Amino acid sequence: MNKLAVVLVVVALLAMGGTEGLAQREQVRIGISLPLTGPASASGKAAEAGYRLALDEINKAGGVLGRRLQVFIEDDGNLPAKGVPIFTKFVTVDRVHAITGIFGSAIGVSIVGPAKLHEPLIAMLGAASPLVERGFEGYKYLFHYHPWAYHNMEAVFNFMEFVRTGTGASTIAILYEDGPFGSAGIGDTRSELIKRGFDVPFMESFKTGSGDFTALLTRAKRHPVDVLFWIGFDADALPIAVQSREIGFKPRLIFGSPASWPVGYEGNPVARDVAGMAGWTSASPLPASKEFVKKYQAKFGSLSEEYMAPMGYTILTSLAAAMNKAGTTDKDRVTAELAKTDADTPVGRLRFKPSRLSPSVYQGFDSDLWMVFQFREGRRVPVWPKHVAAGPLAWRWR
Amino acid sequence: MMDLFLQTLANALIQSGTYALASSGLALAVGVLHIVNFAHGEFLMVGAFVAYWLSVLAGIDPIVSLVPAGAVMFAASGVIYQASIRRVLLAPELNALLLTFGIGITLQNLAVLVFGATPRVVHTAYQLTAVTLGPVSVGVAPLITLIVSVALLAGMYAVLYRTGVGKSIRAVAQNRTGAHLVGLDVDRIYLLTFGIASALAAIAGAMVLVRIGASPHMGFGFVLKAFAIIVMAGLGNLTGVLWASLVLATAEAFVRTYVPGGGGAAEAVFFLLIFFTLVWRSWRTA
Repeated sequence: MNKLAVVLVVVALLAMGGTEGLAQREQVRIGISLPLTGPASASGKAAEAGYRLALDEINKAGGVLGRRLQVFIEDDGNLPAKGVPIFTKFVTVDRVHAITGIFGSAIGVSIVGPAKLHEPLIAMLGAASPLVERGFEGYKYLFHYHPWAYHNMEAVFNFMEFVRTGTGASTIAILYEDGPFGSAGIGDTRSELIKRGFDVPFMESFKTGSGDFTALLTRAKRHPVDVLFWIGFDADALPIAVQSREIGFKPRLIFGSPASWPVGYEGNPVARDVAGMAGWTSASPLPASKEFVKKYQAKFGSLSEEYMAPMGYTILTSLAAAMNKAGTTDKDRVTAELAKTDADTPVGRLRFKPSRLSPSVYQGFDSDLWMVFQFREGRRVPVWPKHVAAGPLAWRWR
Repeated sequence: MMDLFLQTLANALIQSGTYALASSGLALAVGVLHIVNFAHGEFLMVGAFVAYWLSVLAGIDPIVSLVPAGAVMFAASGVIYQASIRRVLLAPELNALLLTFGIGITLQNLAVLVFGATPRVVHTAYQLTAVTLGPVSVGVAPLITLIVSVALLAGMYAVLYRTGVGKSIRAVAQNRTGAHLVGLDVDRIYLLTFGIASALAAIAGAMVLVRIGASPHMGFGFVLKAFAIIVMAGLGNLTGVLWASLVLATAEAFVRTYVPGGGGAAEAVFFLLIFFTLVWRSWRTA
């Protein structure tokens, strides 16, 4: 009798597990790997909000293939040591139909091996290093939405040319952080600026987060510099702006390119007319962006200025749309549909083309994604390129 | 050329105020408690965040906030001392070192969880103001930091050498057992000293907030430089902290200004100063 009871309980449990497993299989599942803690968490959390906004919208509209879309969001801390196990778990345990997120290039490079082993469909959020592009050479299921690093620099050069032709600026001082982010290709950056008609009388490295720029700015001040271009991180934004004032260094434009800006920076008078580059700002005049801002505010009650928010939103909505068009979650058919994407998104027109260094990879946005804004009246006002500009470039840093 | 030299000297003098403020608490902790407090940088970070939130929520200027920031860290350090530090004071020094390292990591990660990793900045009227003397221009905010730093160090010196409490602290620093035998409450003096040292770190945090903002990871760089300064000054030598800060700040400023590629290399200057100081000391005593 006891044996029978045990058998019945085991059978019941198996049946429940089986039912649960069936229910799980019925849903369309997507794994999202994001840096929700650590230094890149500002971007990761913004992307998470964008993904969640898209998830709500998709499920309210009937889900994917008439089934509920389920996402598995995991915190990779922007660390390969966490990112690789998360990626493997998505494939082997959660058995997702696609993987997205993946912000840092270090993780992007680290998952090349597991990706080639399991061959999942990947819609990559960040990972701009060409090392990632090279690593995925020959891979058929990678959609890389974010521009590559060389696209980012192309945008910088195009903006600088706009500044030169529009204002007559001819000299640039460059400050760059001495890690891989700031120093990779810095020589080429200098050469390209010179090729485009600029004189670069001062170029110097710094340690990010050191907080003391007075000596470097003192040296830069000795040259008649029109533009101060700095490549670093959010922690460097305030010291550079404040200490420029302190020592009386007044280039006509300060242009920085951190991935994110400090909290409260835009409202600080010291930031007025400081220029930065972004994939998006909430002031973007694009209709899809205005729609996104409205939905975002309705859901979260506030507004993010991080471009990773609309990027996350764009990825999930385009992925869901491709699955719906394919009529299946089969990765080959979804890949074929996603490759045909031609849509207006909050960050601009999304069309995939073969990636420059690895043509098997589908590349979404390029240098056209980037816009330059200036901090003005506590906001980020787009000033370049013309089709998104909400105001003129303020050409004398006050 | 002379303008550049004078401005570099001014930059060094101004930066030395920040360094002295960040190092004085650590000098006290090492000198009296013989604790190499690796959490000192995170105490500084706590002070910066206290001042930040007081500025954002109540509109209190960070200079005024240095009093509540110091008070908050003084109270918090009492809890930390009673709960952890006190228990390893008699153990080998490595225990205290690892313990404070753990406290620092915990505080840093708590700050990331609660506030996020993105730096936060405040604005004040004097943030945009500079004082110009001939070819030299210095910001008002770091000038105030320098003045506060000198005043605090003078105040500490007065407390240590002109008051009964100071005498007790010096007695405990010199000989714990002897101080205990003559009836001093050693545990209480340790608690008080650790509190003052921690409060000084928090005050330094409130002062640097205006120039560099507040972020969970801001403390580490300061604590490394503070170690270099107290090594140069002599462990526990409070009066030496000022000149040692000036030496470090001057060396960094001159490397940044006159050495090609010095912007990145300046951050290694404190390693060299530690190295040369230790070699020189060992050579002198050999």
